Amino acid sequence: MRFSSYFLPTAVAAFYLFLYVPIFVLVVFSFNDNAFTYRWLGFTTDWYTDLFASKEVWHALKNSLLIACATVFLSLTLGSTLIFFGSRAAVQRILLLFYGSLAMPEIVLAVGLLSLFSFFSVSLGATTLIVGHTLLGLGYVIPILHGRFVELDVNLIEASYDLGATKRQTFFYVVLPLLAPALIAAGLLVFIISLDDFIISFFCAGASVQTLPLYIFSVIRTGASPMINALSTVMLVVSSLFVLMFSFIQVKKIRIQK
Amino acid sequence: MNVKQRIRDFISENASFVFTVPAVLWQVLFLYIPFLLVVYTSLQHCMECSFFDITFSHYYELFDRAYVYIICRSALVALGVTLSCLALAYPIAYFLALRVKDRWKNILLFLLTLPFWTNFLILIYSWVFVLDHNGLINTILLKTGIISEPLHMINNMAAIFVVMVYYYLPFMMLPLYSILEKIQHEVLEASMDLGATNWQTFRRITIPLSMSGIKTGVFLVFVPAFGEFAIPSIIGGGQQLFVGSLISHYFLVARDNQLGAAFTVISGIVLMTCALLFHWLCKVPVQVAQKEVAS
Repeated sequence: MRFSSYFLPTAVAAFYLFLYVPIFVLVVFSFNDNAFTYRWLGFTTDWYTDLFASKEVWHALKNSLLIACATVFLSLTLGSTLIFFGSRAAVQRILLLFYGSLAMPEIVLAVGLLSLFSFFSVSLGATTLIVGHTLLGLGYVIPILHGRFVELDVNLIEASYDLGATKRQTFFYVVLPLLAPALIAAGLLVFIISLDDFIISFFCAGASVQTLPLYIFSVIRTGASPMINALSTVMLVVSSLFVLMFSFIQVKKIRIQK
Repeated sequence: MNVKQRIRDFISENASFVFTVPAVLWQVLFLYIPFLLVVYTSLQHCMECSFFDITFSHYYELFDRAYVYIICRSALVALGVTLSCLALAYPIAYFLALRVKDRWKNILLFLLTLPFWTNFLILIYSWVFVLDHNGLINTILLKTGIISEPLHMINNMAAIFVVMVYYYLPFMMLPLYSILEKIQHEVLEASMDLGATNWQTFRRITIPLSMSGIKTGVFLVFVPAFGEFAIPSIIGGGQQLFVGSLISHYFLVARDNQLGAAFTVISGIVLMTCALLFHWLCKVPVQVAQKEVAS
């Protein structure tokens, strides 16, 4: 017992230090009054002013949000209708089909999509990005929703039919509300995946659309400014709010179950 | 009966078919057909050649140019990253899942998932501030007088390796944690009651029970690490070629789709071989444990 009572807590502390020191440094340097090197010169909030005044950032953010929303909508719609309306045996059989996008590195998917689009001379843009992100999204949505749907009490659905509801009514008034926690979780996950996606965006965006990750990458590559640190800090705050929200939903769910 | 009504009837009569098709079609059209297209492109003689002008020359070219070396190196680095992540993550996940009180657990889990939800370019970029000439480590070492000249720590393989481990750790942690959390204390206590030592309990009970988590974690780390593209290009300064960087070079810079496709196919085959090998390897420890228990 002595081994684990000293070794493990120390290891955990070191682990969290390793995880958070770089992030901490990044945040600190967003307040650094020095545009060129990584030396500390003084405190300033200028980079935040620059950030909120930057048209490019807002434009990229708008694109990213639009694409993420469309992706969430499409993958949830495709996923939930497939899960409910498809016959159980068939869904069970085709489930493996949707793991394909997880079994290959994203860059292979991106190359494939790029080949497809150039083969049919589809011009790259927001639509092609939504297509690619939805492909990624389905790989997560369908297993999550399916897992939850199988756990549902079949009697509830059958009761709905017995009481005269049509398939459509059952879907909207019984199944969707029952699946709500899974839908929210999957939706949030896909939203973040789309918002965060870099590789597929890098290949399938073309020159016309700039998303937030693409913008960040181009700035980092061409000599970064502390504005990127400011942007990162803002994004960190937003994503921690997201995680809090997410864990709040989970905690609530667990409480309800108890 | 108008057209609208007819369509509506058709949908309600064949609902299970109508609503299965779109998702499946999406997957086939945008995932499986592109795969075939990449394979076809890799065999195509040139961009403007006729459809049936097929050749293996791109593959020969890749073997000639010893790009096999880059694939092997990517696979080795990915393997190293995966094993390091496993070695680092397992004790932490074990501790979190089985030894921490609930109140602390939530906070620690929150801190663990936060990087997971953070934009990964930002996470990678933060390491520039740690490893750079004027970065955190050099500043501390210079101030404390341990070194007199700044160390050169960025733009090399070691930096890429560390950042990859850093980035992929949560991908290993979360599946491990969620499987370890399901292990019931009673099982471990029973093992101890029956006279097993800590180590025996760990090796014969905990590890076999968490095997599926290990598998998921290894898979989640190895596959993307093998195709890594952003980390070498930000931390490595684009000097260290990886499978991902080479693929993107062919498709986006050199515009040599045929060669790029051939390279992608070869890498894909290597990756699948690795995955199958790993799948087979995973069965061994469980079987060994079962045999030991039986004997």
